[in-house]
Amino acid sequence: MDSPAANAAFAKQIDIKFPLLSDMNRKMLTDYGILKKYDVKGDSYEWALRANIVIDKDGIIRHIEGGDSAVDPNTAVSVCTDLHKKSAAQ
Amino acid sequence: MKRLLVACLLFALAPPLAPPSEQSQKKEEVAKLSLKVGDKAPDFTLLSDQWKTVKLSDYHGKKNVFLAVYVLAFTGG
Repeated sequence: MDSPAANAAFAKQIDIKFPLLSDMNRKMLTDYGILKKYDVKGDSYEWALRANIVIDKDGIIRHIEGGDSAVDPNTAVSVCTDLHKKSAAQ
Repeated sequence: MKRLLVACLLFALAPPLAPPSEQSQKKEEVAKLSLKVGDKAPDFTLLSDQWKTVKLSDYHGKKNVFLAVYVLAFTGG
């Protein structure tokens, strides 16, 4: 798990302008069903899937994908663009 | 124009030892997520890289949120 300090160093390194968040107690990952358990030769491990999630201003999930498909963010970006257009039109 | 989207990266878990085998990981990769489009997003409170508390509900009625859960960000994978 990356701590806020580790995230701060990484954000500085690649000049990120948005928040990097740490789920130190894994609660969010668990609540969202992203944290998966794996059994490897009798030992249990927890591992988070790669995931993209878009949540609108009303707190409703408008896009969610996990695993291999989430490596490509284009679908999520498209949903963001649509939400942005709708907000601008209102 | 006011920016409407807030993008966040969750640098998730590094396993305590070796990563799971390719076979077991593959099996879980296709597992269904517990949430779906149209569901209410569970609220969360997380610490940012600036050591500030970030709550999903703080954006309610204000901004759309893009969450990217990115595992092992330092590996370039």
